[in-house]
Amino acid sequence: MKKLAVRNLRLCTKDCLCLYVCPVGATDTENSVIDKEKCTGCGVCAQACPSGAISMVPLEYPPQQQKAETVLTASRAVCQNKAGQEGIARQLAEETEDDALYRLMSAAAKSIRLVHEDLSRESGYMLPQSKNARERLQGWIQEPPAPDFPREAAQELLDRIPCNES
Amino acid sequence: MRYICPICGYVYDEEKEGRAFSEIADGWFCPICGAPGTVFTVEEPREEAVVAAPETDSPEKQSFGEFAALCSNLARGCEKQYLEEESALYRRLAEYFTAVAPKAKGKNLEDLASCLRNDLSGFYPALRQAAESAKDRGILRVCTWGEKVTRMLLSLVERCQKEGTDFLKGTSVWVCTICGFIYIGDNPPEICPVCKVPDWKFEKVEGRRSV
Ligand code: SF4
Ligand code: SF4
Repeated sequence: MKKLAVRNLRLCTKDCLCLYVCPVGATDTENSVIDKEKCTGCGVCAQACPSGAISMVPLEYPPQQQKAETVLTASRAVCQNKAGQEGIARQLAEETEDDALYRLMSAAAKSIRLVHEDLSRESGYMLPQSKNARERLQGWIQEPPAPDFPREAAQELLDRIPCNES
Repeated sequence: MRYICPICGYVYDEEKEGRAFSEIADGWFCPICGAPGTVFTVEEPREEAVVAAPETDSPEKQSFGEFAALCSNLARGCEKQYLEEESALYRRLAEYFTAVAPKAKGKNLEDLASCLRNDLSGFYPALRQAAESAKDRGILRVCTWGEKVTRMLLSLVERCQKEGTDFLKGTSVWVCTICGFIYIGDNPPEICPVCKVPDWKFEKVEGRRSV
């Protein structure tokens, strides 16, 4: 599988071992972002980096695992509940005068969202490249779910992220 | 007898501690994750009860709240692939859906608690069962984390209902940014008791005044 080197700028300490080992000079750029055009994916820089700052990411991802219909139905029910719970937590945070309750309910809204995201990811939305994700965007563009839906953002996502399924 | 914490698996062994669990359970908290003693259960081989899937009134159309989580999940997916601009676009969609979601007016803590209880008693067991028969390991893992995080949140909500919010004053509320586990304390736990990430993955939830 073809891969490309990507540098995590937060971890990079600028020790510059990767600059020294790269056979094509792809790591030596002004903005520290590894040059996609030059990188051949050999992986030497990732091995040389003392900070674990370089990952080799696949250029193309294999298709997502298919999910059973029974699992999707049960998962959908939990997602629906989580959306409701998050709404209640947000509202309680907004309405309360008590700072302690405000903090707890803000934490609850975050927590519920994280659980919900995790569920959504495992229920067919693992990859932004997936057909599922793209069909969503297309649906929203054709039929905006509510007024002022930022169509251009959805369109830009479709343009930028290629599909990995046929 | 041995009592086990449903969140992190910490075991209270009566023999070793020299005190009956029932004597201390009320007002005592798990030393690892902070779960109240009252949610501990006797350690015993878990028997698999067959659950009937709860009735849902899943409307045809997904709610804006569901779309919001779908988009913020994909934003994280982009982030993991170092697609920063794409991640920002999905975040924008997520924020849009969060903003247009109808407000949950007139709800109280009990509404939240009862919804969390329904998940624990019916919806998660049903999902777990579906995942077991489909041999879906991803969803089984989601259930394990989700049930623990939900149980912890429920115990905190119930505590607020019972004794008010004094126990939160003068200390901090932390959320694990990976699994959503909520921890109350001056510092976050060294590792998350649910998903085992290190303390720096915890985010402190700030009060209104400091925003
Ligand atoms: S070797 Fe690693 S730490 Fe050093 S400059 Fe390269 S990416 Fe940064
Ligand atoms: S993977 Fe190879 S070609 Fe690409 S940046 Fe690293 S060392 Fe250079």
